[in-house]
Amino acid sequence: MSNPKAIQSIVIAGGGSAGWMAAAALSTAFHGTDCRITLVESEEIGTVGVGEATIPPIQAFNQILGIDEAAFVRATQGTFKLGIEFVNWWREGHRYFHPFGRYGDDFGMTPFHQQWLRARFHGDPTPLSAYSLSDAAAFKNRFDRPLADPRSVFSTFSYAYHFDAGLYARFLRVHSEARGVTRIEGKIADVALDPESGFVRALTLENGQRIEGELFFDCTGFRALLIGQTLEVPYQDWSGWLPCDRAIAVPSARMADLPPYTRSTAHKAGWQWRIPLQHRTGNGHVYCSGFMGDDEAQSILLAGLDGAPTGSPRQLRFTTGMREQGWAKNVIALGLASGFLEPLESTSLHLVQSGITKLLAWFPDRDFDPAVTVEYNRQVAREFESVRDFLVLHYRATERSDSDFWRHCAAIEMPETLAAKLAMFRLNGRLIERDKDLFHEASWLAVMLGQGVTPQGYDPLADIVDPREMQAVLAGMRNVIAHTSDAMPGHAAFIARHCRAPDLRAA
Amino acid sequence: MTAAPIRRIVIAGGGTAGWMAAALLARFLPPPHAEILLVESDEIGTIGVGEATVPLMAQFNGVLGIDEKDFVARTEGTFKLGIQFRDWGEMGNVHFNGFGDYGDAIQGVSPHHHWLKLHRLGDASPIEDWSMPYAAAKRDRFAPPEMVHRQGDEAAFYKYAYHFDAGLYARYLRGYAETRGVVREEGRIGKVELDPESGHVAALLMADGRRFAGDLFIDCTGFVGLLISKALGVAYVDWSGLLPCDRAIAVPSARRDPLTPYTRSTARAAGWQWRIPLQHRTGNGHVYSSAFLSDDEAVDQLMANLDCAPLSEPRLLRFTTGHRAKFWDRNVVALGLAAGFMEPLESTSIQIIQTGLARLVEYLPDRDFDPAVADEYNRVTANEYARIRDFLILHYCRSRRSEPMWEHCRTMAIPDTLAHKIAVWEACGRVPLLSEESYQEPSWVSIFLGNQVLPRRYDPIVDQLPIEKLRGGMNQRRAAIAQVADHMPPHTLFVDRTCPAPVAA
Repeated sequence: MSNPKAIQSIVIAGGGSAGWMAAAALSTAFHGTDCRITLVESEEIGTVGVGEATIPPIQAFNQILGIDEAAFVRATQGTFKLGIEFVNWWREGHRYFHPFGRYGDDFGMTPFHQQWLRARFHGDPTPLSAYSLSDAAAFKNRFDRPLADPRSVFSTFSYAYHFDAGLYARFLRVHSEARGVTRIEGKIADVALDPESGFVRALTLENGQRIEGELFFDCTGFRALLIGQTLEVPYQDWSGWLPCDRAIAVPSARMADLPPYTRSTAHKAGWQWRIPLQHRTGNGHVYCSGFMGDDEAQSILLAGLDGAPTGSPRQLRFTTGMREQGWAKNVIALGLASGFLEPLESTSLHLVQSGITKLLAWFPDRDFDPAVTVEYNRQVAREFESVRDFLVLHYRATERSDSDFWRHCAAIEMPETLAAKLAMFRLNGRLIERDKDLFHEASWLAVMLGQGVTPQGYDPLADIVDPREMQAVLAGMRNVIAHTSDAMPGHAAFIARHCRAPDLRAA
Repeated sequence: MTAAPIRRIVIAGGGTAGWMAAALLARFLPPPHAEILLVESDEIGTIGVGEATVPLMAQFNGVLGIDEKDFVARTEGTFKLGIQFRDWGEMGNVHFNGFGDYGDAIQGVSPHHHWLKLHRLGDASPIEDWSMPYAAAKRDRFAPPEMVHRQGDEAAFYKYAYHFDAGLYARYLRGYAETRGVVREEGRIGKVELDPESGHVAALLMADGRRFAGDLFIDCTGFVGLLISKALGVAYVDWSGLLPCDRAIAVPSARRDPLTPYTRSTARAAGWQWRIPLQHRTGNGHVYSSAFLSDDEAVDQLMANLDCAPLSEPRLLRFTTGHRAKFWDRNVVALGLAAGFMEPLESTSIQIIQTGLARLVEYLPDRDFDPAVADEYNRVTANEYARIRDFLILHYCRSRRSEPMWEHCRTMAIPDTLAHKIAVWEACGRVPLLSEESYQEPSWVSIFLGNQVLPRRYDPIVDQLPIEKLRGGMNQRRAAIAQVADHMPPHTLFVDRTCPAPVAA
């Protein structure tokens, strides 16, 4: 006896990364049931995705789909990612690394970094990065997979991927179609609402085809055809906190040694990304149009490339913020339709993934009880806000004041949640973890310290460990990390051996 | 910060909270790192009666490095697998909130969804049949999980807690703390001296004229809140509009065998009665609302419902449910009854002291006492209280009992956070968990289902499993649990063999 009100038909409006990630996850979850899944997309409408950098939870997403890692990396011209290098963010000429994984091993009664802080207060100049295997391996251009065994130093780091988002969507399309998803080619001309309930009942394509459904996903990008244009759910504008509103993207030639990390370089009115893929390097300049013209932004981008450009620059405009309700009536927005946060911490695809997994947890039936919608929206909003706070930290905690843009950023009023975190950290290096924080202790630590936020003291409990023991333990950890990273294979060699992608030029 | 570490901690008041604080702080700040002083008076009684706890307690003992058997023996303790609720949803209703779950997720979905499906199809067996702690409790048997798993059984996950004599526990921790350098000073606190500039507590002035100065003060003076309230004037957030009980009558009765490995809570016309089995006696109490029941009637109801002869005269306690607006103000941290009070319906009193202490250690201040630290401590603690409050209200607000107090509970306004939880549960059978929840999904499910608050549907993924497979799997689980439980020793025997209390001299 199945639920008589169970959802029987799902319609996904829009392909791209968001649409095909939703299709892949839903078709895996509902494989073998009566639920029909249809995806509507038009080849005429381009997708926004450029070179994509991700964060480690994407591994879990691929695992749930049953995707083989090597096949996925090959199919998407992917590379591995141990973290993000931030250049010129604190001061011009300064660089720091946000590693995936943790620093050191806790000892005594406090988190590891408290012992590090204590050592520093007593004159030890070693940076915290000396205790991160991700950091050490990344700057040697080395990579290997971590191990689960908690006794091994190989359990202290994690990784994500860089890949071509267009190829990822194509890869997921194959996966989804094999699990029964119907793809319909066409442009959506009209969205039909139920006159009584205001729920979306059907999409009508330009060729007149009508596609009915019970549950709709809006993956139509910035247009937000269903959630915005049709249901008129307002958009919360966060540009007061994160003022950048444009990006110019351009690919350049592949880098020979494939650095296993994303690089973000701060400029006068924004920052530039560099994402190494197997067939090319993705680049982009995110900037604030109030402080920089498009031409200047493009010149800065091109001047900052590591290789020759292999395409013409493309411009994107956006408003940072979040849809007030990611789920309204029977429509769930994913991807750009649900909100936009600049890719400074590579969270775009994660927010799509997280929206899908939350939706699967709070899956509705045809009653669409509003209590469930409220809970989904609460959780989604909390996650967006936690990413927002983390991004604001990069702009707000900096010594740069060399342009109007950076002086503007210095005056931004922080969200209360971020201000509380900073206050506690400044005091004695304690990190407050709020509910549903996407980024955990090591990430906050890396960026706080990297941006020059210096604790005035450390946890008094750290002093319980004998100082000689502290020094011996710290030296031992540094040693293990230096030796282990030296012995790891080169990233490019690792890829060549396990997951070399086909040469697209040869095809 | 290294420049100004806390050098002297003064704990005002002994009792459970005071000695728990002394023991834990002595563990984390052993000499010479800090001097710890505890001031108490033998003249002032402590409130603690028979105490029931939650599984988190094992962590506290673990951090202290306390030997479990020694601790149980010296506190006349017994083991606890959960709480049996009688007559709560309606007269005759019995359900069990066990320290465990109902099995692993099946296809990523919690098993109560599968139970809901079977229930809808007419299967009358309660969800407790899938609970390992319930199976053991029902048989009055007990074994710690590591013993069960050593035998190679794939039994479900469960934990346990303790029942013990709180007075003996305080004495036990006193021994622990004094061995580790805590100094106890006997005497009554006469006055609390404030620093005229900072408004911080500077010293306790004793009735006999002694003066105890300190950097950090822990207020464990009970309801009166001598430091946090009387000296610093921190207000009290009154929750009696949400949890109407405001009095309790406690009385011990003679030990009764078998020793049940669970606490019992029996709903009464205007409150509920606890039963806590110890080695030397049984702790009993009647928690009630004075607006709906006189003290005399409350005593009569309690005395009429003891399962053995009373061992002393009943004692009356009055309380106001709620908490201090700030648990930590300036250089004073309040713990135990000085911090707040919630009825012991889910045995949370000691848990809240323990988590408060853990948080204090995590946020251990220096002599600068930056208010940002206290703010964060207070924010998290207030959330913790509010979540437990909601959990307790859920026991009352959906009961179908007809007496006036129950009628009141059914119609009173409840907090938005709880209303949202109930609405989401009824809509889809999931429990939205907020930050700082003490109780995870299985506990909420237990109280919802125990009070027959059923959701309108179960998770759609459940229907992917063929019904025969579901039935087969669940019968298997029931049988496996029963088999494990049958092989556990009787609880009474386990206690008598492994941790009998020393014979009184």
